[in-house]
Amino acid sequence: MGRPLAIVRGVALLGLTAREVRVEAASSPGLPLLRLVGLPDAAVREAGDRVRTAITRHGLRWPGERIVVNLAPADLPKAGSAFDLPLAVAILAATGQVPIAAAAACWACGELGLDGSVRPVAGQLPLVAGARQLGAERLLLPAAAASEAALVEGLELLPVADIGEVVELLGGRCAPRVVEPLPRQAGVTGPDLAEVRGQPVARRAVELAAAGGHHLLLSGPPGCGKSMLAARLPGLLPQLTTDEALEVAALHSLAGLRSPEQPLDLRPPLRSPHQVVSAAALVGGGSGVPRPGEVSLAHRGVLTLDELLEVPRAVLDALRQPLEQGEVVLTRSRARVSYPAKVLLVAATNPCPCGYLGDPRRACSCRPDRIERYRARLSGPLLDRLDLQVSLRPLDPDALVGAASGEASSVVATRVADARQRAAARWGGGTLNRDADPQGLRHATDRRALARLAGALHGVGGSARAFDRTLRVARTIADLGDDEVVRTVHVEEAVAYRLPATRGAA
Amino acid sequence: MSAPGLTGLAEACREITAPGSDPELVAALVAWAVRPRRTLEGVRRALASDAGGGTPARRLRAHVLPHLDDDDAAHAAAVIARWVARGCQLSVVGDPGYPSRLAEGWPDTDGPVLLAASGQVPEDRPTVALVGSRRASSYGTGITAWLAEAAGEAGAHVISGGAVGIDAAAHRAAVHTSGGTSVVLACGHDVDYPRSHARPGGLFDGIRRAGGAVVSEQLPAVPPRAGVVRARNRIVAALADVVVVVEGGARSGALLTATAALERDRVLLAVPGDVRASGSVAPNRLLGEGAHPCTGPGDLLEHLDRLAHRAHLAGTGGVAASGTAAEVDRADPLSALPAPLHAALRAAWPRAVPVDVLLERVELDAGAALAALTRAQVAGEVAEGPEGVVLCRRPAAPQRLIS
Repeated sequence: MGRPLAIVRGVALLGLTAREVRVEAASSPGLPLLRLVGLPDAAVREAGDRVRTAITRHGLRWPGERIVVNLAPADLPKAGSAFDLPLAVAILAATGQVPIAAAAACWACGELGLDGSVRPVAGQLPLVAGARQLGAERLLLPAAAASEAALVEGLELLPVADIGEVVELLGGRCAPRVVEPLPRQAGVTGPDLAEVRGQPVARRAVELAAAGGHHLLLSGPPGCGKSMLAARLPGLLPQLTTDEALEVAALHSLAGLRSPEQPLDLRPPLRSPHQVVSAAALVGGGSGVPRPGEVSLAHRGVLTLDELLEVPRAVLDALRQPLEQGEVVLTRSRARVSYPAKVLLVAATNPCPCGYLGDPRRACSCRPDRIERYRARLSGPLLDRLDLQVSLRPLDPDALVGAASGEASSVVATRVADARQRAAARWGGGTLNRDADPQGLRHATDRRALARLAGALHGVGGSARAFDRTLRVARTIADLGDDEVVRTVHVEEAVAYRLPATRGAA
Repeated sequence: MSAPGLTGLAEACREITAPGSDPELVAALVAWAVRPRRTLEGVRRALASDAGGGTPARRLRAHVLPHLDDDDAAHAAAVIARWVARGCQLSVVGDPGYPSRLAEGWPDTDGPVLLAASGQVPEDRPTVALVGSRRASSYGTGITAWLAEAAGEAGAHVISGGAVGIDAAAHRAAVHTSGGTSVVLACGHDVDYPRSHARPGGLFDGIRRAGGAVVSEQLPAVPPRAGVVRARNRIVAALADVVVVVEGGARSGALLTATAALERDRVLLAVPGDVRASGSVAPNRLLGEGAHPCTGPGDLLEHLDRLAHRAHLAGTGGVAASGTAAEVDRADPLSALPAPLHAALRAAWPRAVPVDVLLERVELDAGAALAALTRAQVAGEVAEGPEGVVLCRRPAAPQRLIS
């Protein structure tokens, strides 16, 4: 029987869900050899070489005996280079270079360089947050990621720059570094709604979308301001709380889009994938453990899809479930992960293939059957989920020359915040009207308004889903007008945002 | 009968032969038409060039029957079954079930030898054809609906081609009026084109239920090729007393309808259009070449009135009772719209107004105005299209255009 077992804990991520991994190392007499067991992937298997080189180049001792490292639980797939640091610490503990007790009280995550330096990995933030969730108290982590990790509260951080510092720190020969948490980046930036000229209906629809989280479809000829309006929508949304911003930052970190030095962004994210986006890039995917897609990267923010009808049908259909449930569930042979995806979808489309249908200055050159086929590509179920459908028209030159007259984003944002507060107070837990329970909705609706809605939707061939969704829009309209009861006028306005495209598809 | 197979075929044809036509002859004509390189139009030309006497039926029989064999009969059987499935009735030119306007001057005029119809095109009332392009503007469909409704309510029958755009606007506006409406298809009866009109419960079903007819000279399954569509237009013109060209481009089929109308001595009207719009090229050119201008139902009803059916109309209180456009006007309807919105739409009529423009004009809050427009749309007062919102009916007297 050799030395006692050395144990350090690390974190494996399945999507955003963290699982505890115990890294156990034991040395025993035999040929000097490192064996890694417990379902490591290629990157983890390579960790052996990295750790060995880092340790020896740093003047530390590599044992002249056989070492077995087990990553437990053995059935959990482990991926990536974040296990380098726990691996190194476990080996150092197993060979008596750091105290076993100190190592056992620690969690660790980080990648090693051949020179012994400790570096952050992709998904560093969710790893730290995951460790906290799993009950970690002390965490060894790359010094470069310490400020970011300090945003996660209730965790004693042991930032280390290289493997030598690990030995000093755990040996009690120096004190941990002092860490300043990252600054938070706030404030409304981005373009202002005041710059949008004319388009009263579209402006109203954008305000409703911001207030109730309703998905928006802007249809109109090229150059009428669709992208302009979409770009201004995030500026109307309330700022994220720190927890929400951390969740968003964790998703971005997981996708490798975030470096640990970046300030924490409290502004709602805006993602605008190109229309030739693949289904995997949009909703998430990839081999092994799937990575988050655009719809998750836009979580708690805005996802814009330009030229909606140029997006392949299969890709559009993949959007339906995330839009309805607010999360993406991806199932692969090795893992089933879910990513949050509470997005506000802003889709833009031309009214016909050439784009000029309804433009008074330029004739549309499309045959009627082509237009019909073009619109039929918007599948009924997806169209149903786009609650606010607005046709934009090209501006006449007078409006372009005159002074911009619209309300500023800040004014609209105040109304939006008030309406959101009313909704949150009613449904509880920050729920938007978009996700409101149909029963509760009908309860606070004027009886005549319900009858009117049923009649109006029957006239335009709406589905049962359309009924509840339209009612939710009406609820938002009432909230914006500070009205506790949904009345007939609210319902009628809500139906108006459904009419143009519904008829177009019929 | 020269071939024994045809006797059986005639039996099968009994079900699809209109009263007054001879099943045997119908069977023979179908058997002729289904074989390659033989067309009924060819038969008509042959008869036209060879001066003979007798009824069309007798001359057709003499021309066709000697050349048929059992093979022809076998081919025809399948085709006949498809007509049976669609509930069509076939009539031979000159027979009582065949529209008399179409048979005028046959075989020197190019009426089809055989006409398949579900329903009957009424013979007893003045008939107007409203034609134009599929790619119609809101101005075009608005005017068409106005004319069709006024004509239908005055007791005139409205004919058109059943396509989308102008045709559909004409049928829709006239289908529930006393005059009624009929469709001349540009394809076989079971082709279902355009699909949205031909589906169960669609426009064509509505027309049949309302007592109108859907007719076609084509065999079942013939697709709406360009040549077939052009041939269809001559039937539209021939079935009408007055032909109105509402909208059409420089190469529109409406020009062919107009030519066919003049060849048959029909009265030709054209609706003046925006000189800048490509869709107004055809009517404006026809006006330049001597077509009568049609500036409203008044013009149309006046021409219908002048025709030989005047006596009949007076008897049924048709055109005479309805009078001209000025008299068709009703009292100001109870509008669901706020006054400024209604005034703006009335001023623009029959053009559509984009919603954004409308909102700027009326200085109403966007939400309230949209709510009002929904109410009016549900009530059927306004319609919304790609070009904006338009009143569905002609507004009442105070804001009337010149009539």
